[in-house]
Amino acid sequence: MGVREEQKQATREKVLEAARDLFNDTGYDETTIRAIAERAGVSVGSVFTTFASKAEVLSHVMETRLADLYAEFDRVVPFLRGATADRLSSIFAIHYAFETRRVKLFLAHIAASYSPSNDPGVTPYGRNVRLNSMLREVLDDGKTRGDVRLDLDSDLTINVLKAAYAWNYRLAAANGAQANELAAAMDQQIVFIAEGWRPR
Amino acid sequence: MSFVALNPGYNTETPIKMTRRALAKQHTRERVLSAARRLFTERGYEGATIRDIAQAAGMSTGAVFASFADKSELFDEILTADYEVIYAQMKQAGANAVSVEEGVIGMFAVAYGFHVEQLPLLQASIAVSWTRSETAERRNRGHLKHIFTLLSDVLIRGVERGELKAAADTKLLAEIIWDVYVANYRRAIFDAWTVEALLSRLSDQLKVILAGARA
Repeated sequence: MGVREEQKQATREKVLEAARDLFNDTGYDETTIRAIAERAGVSVGSVFTTFASKAEVLSHVMETRLADLYAEFDRVVPFLRGATADRLSSIFAIHYAFETRRVKLFLAHIAASYSPSNDPGVTPYGRNVRLNSMLREVLDDGKTRGDVRLDLDSDLTINVLKAAYAWNYRLAAANGAQANELAAAMDQQIVFIAEGWRPR
Repeated sequence: MSFVALNPGYNTETPIKMTRRALAKQHTRERVLSAARRLFTERGYEGATIRDIAQAAGMSTGAVFASFADKSELFDEILTADYEVIYAQMKQAGANAVSVEEGVIGMFAVAYGFHVEQLPLLQASIAVSWTRSETAERRNRGHLKHIFTLLSDVLIRGVERGELKAAADTKLLAEIIWDVYVANYRRAIFDAWTVEALLSRLSDQLKVILAGARA
C-alpha cells in the first residue's frame, strides 16, 4: 500500500468511527457531514472524496460493524446445540444483543433504508448475505437431523423469520425495549413457525 | 367511510352553517395538505421543510403553523387520510372472504394496490416510523390498531370455521403476517415488484406461517 493509499484508509477509518458515535449519540438526521469531519479531525472535502453521501457513510458504518459480529459468529455457530428452533433463537438473540448496544444507530439504518433517496453506494438494511447463509445452514442441518420437514421451503422460511426479526425492533423504537425482550418476542415467533416445519 | 374523525373541519354534515372564515380556513388546510403531499412524495419526510411546503402552497410559514402544530402532525394527517380511503375496502375484503388466505390476501391486495401507486410517500412514512417521537408514534399506532383488528377478525373467523386450530395464537399470527406484509414493500422499492408479485409472495409466505396453525 502506498503512502497515499494508507492515508486514505486512515481517513476512512476515522470518519466511520466518528460517524458511528455521532449517529448513535446525536441521531442520524441531526448529524451533518461537517460535524462528522470535525469529530474525525479531517476536512469536509476529504469526507466527500471518500463517500458520496451521508447515507453511504451510514451504510459503511454498518458493514464494518457486521464484520465484527460475523467474526464472532464464525466461532459460535459450530457450537450451537439443540433443536433447530433453539439454534435459530440463539442466532437472533446474539443479533439483538449486538444491535441494541447502539440501538439508535441501528434504527437509523433501518429508517434510512426506506428513504426515497437512496444512492448506488448504499447497501440497504435487509441485504445481509451472511445472515441468510447462516440461517440456511441451520435449517438444512435440521433437515439432516430430522427435526425439519424435508420439503420445507428454506428460502421462504428464512424470509419470514427475517421479517419477524426486523419488525421486532419496533419494540425498541416505540417502547425502548431491551435485547432480552426482543429476543423473547422472536422466540415466540420462531416456536410458532417451527410448529409448521415439524415432520409429520 | 372514515374511521378516525381527526378532521372536524371536514365534517360535511353542516356545510351551510360554515362561516366564511371557517371556509377560508378549510381551504388553507387543503392547500397545505396538497402541497405537503407532493413535497413529501418528491423529497421524503426529512427533505421537505415547513418553509418549502408553505412556499409551494403559496402562503407564509406562519399560516401553515396556524393550521398544523408541526411537520409531523401535517404528515400524519396525510397518512390518516390515506388510511381512511383504504380501510373500508380492506374491511370488506376481509369480511367477505371464505378462507383465511382469501381474507388476508384480499385485505392486503387493497393495501398493496394503493401504496405501490405512491411508493415514495409510503417509504417516507415507514422511514419516519422508526425514529419518530413518542406522541407521533401513539397517533400512528391508532391507525395500525384498526388494521390489526381487521386482520385478527379474519383469523378468528378461521378458528370459528375450524380452518385453524382452536388453540392457535391469533394475535401472534396477526403479528407475523403483518411483519411479512410490510417487509415485502422492500421488494417493491428496490426490485420494482408489481402488486401481483407482492401478493404471490405473500400467499407463499402465508403457507409457511399458517402451516403449524391449521386444524
